Amino acid sequence: MLQAHSFLWHYLWVAPNVLLLVLAACMWKRGLARELPAFFAFITVDAFAQLGMYVADVSPVVGPETWWHLAWVSLIIDGVLKAFLIAEIYDRNFRSYDALAKLGRILIRAVGVTLIMASAVLAAVGPQDGRFGIIAGEHSLEQGIYLVESGLLLAVLVLAALFKLRPPRPVFGIAVGLAISACVHLASWAVMASGGLPNSKRAPLVFLNMATYHACVLIWFYFVLVPVKVKSNSGPPMPPIHNLEVWNREVGRLLHP
Amino acid sequence: MTIAIILVVLAAVSLAVILRVSVKALEVSATGSPWKIQPLDIEAFRNLTDPAEEAYLRKRLPVGDYRRVRRERLRATSAYVQVAGRNAGVLIQLGQMALVSSNASTAEPARQLVDQALLLRRNCAFALIRIHVALVLPFRGESVVPVLRGYEQVNGSAQLLTRLQNPVAPLRISS
Repeated sequence: MLQAHSFLWHYLWVAPNVLLLVLAACMWKRGLARELPAFFAFITVDAFAQLGMYVADVSPVVGPETWWHLAWVSLIIDGVLKAFLIAEIYDRNFRSYDALAKLGRILIRAVGVTLIMASAVLAAVGPQDGRFGIIAGEHSLEQGIYLVESGLLLAVLVLAALFKLRPPRPVFGIAVGLAISACVHLASWAVMASGGLPNSKRAPLVFLNMATYHACVLIWFYFVLVPVKVKSNSGPPMPPIHNLEVWNREVGRLLHP
Repeated sequence: MTIAIILVVLAAVSLAVILRVSVKALEVSATGSPWKIQPLDIEAFRNLTDPAEEAYLRKRLPVGDYRRVRRERLRATSAYVQVAGRNAGVLIQLGQMALVSSNASTAEPARQLVDQALLLRRNCAFALIRIHVALVLPFRGESVVPVLRGYEQVNGSAQLLTRLQNPVAPLRISS
């Protein structure tokens, strides 16, 4: 079952991308595409690119070398779109808070530069998959993209949690889904890019990546399209009275020492 | 293969942190924020961080005693700053809930409260770092003035917001 060109393999490659196109259509219909332009662009372009890669893979007309060239192009586009998407997630998390804007920018830039340098060093000095250069290079690039992506998303989520910030629900779901997918892909690409596993034993990792991505697409569906249940009494809940008493006492002490 | 193992471990740790942060955030949005404002004795806090008192102790006490007393005072200050930081976290959540409610009259005060509480929480984090450095190097000065000032500002904003949201509540609790 866990073999290339099995039914599960076909399903896991095609289904998430078809679902992404459905999600993109729903977003367009509900006007969400304007609110989350980078996410909309990412899911649309990535879905078409992956479906194109699938057709190229099953088509007898496309040779292996052409397929790997297409994989390179698709990966570079994917990397650029992810960079815009992470910028959008960061922006929607921290943009409206002046107190955090400068600190957040400094932290994210520092994390980003460190991760890019780390992935460049890893690609240069790390062990390479001992196959053709075009394949080994693609694997190293995959590893580098997922390293930067997972690190940046981790930094954004941890920073928001430390400051008790609650990002908008769709943005939170997009960030969590992308981060989970990035961490799982990073682990499996680290193993594959190092050439530590023989070809025959790589299939479970490929399936793990595909299944994780499918799960993340479902997470995006839920968080982007399912609305929040609004409680009947609109307006934020007040703290319990005993807490307000404590608060009031402290303010009283402050104002009248 | 060593690099691959390190990356796999890093990815697993990151995944665990992300899942923990996400589950906690979902719990808070599902059950509401646990409102736990802890009392903070501002006068004691002011005394602890008063430079004049610090100078007096330094002048009067022998070096060994001064170091011991200063460490104790720094530990107490650290506890106060932590409470201030936690209270700021509660106020950030209160302000964000008010922002989500999209009530025009409370939107601006809520935004102000969130910004001031964020600033206070950030200053608390920096103050804690400075306090811990001062614990290692007792003669090095530490400043928690931004925390005190921030706490006073955030108090005003919180009062304004709670009054706008529920005009009855402040009257009830001040009786």
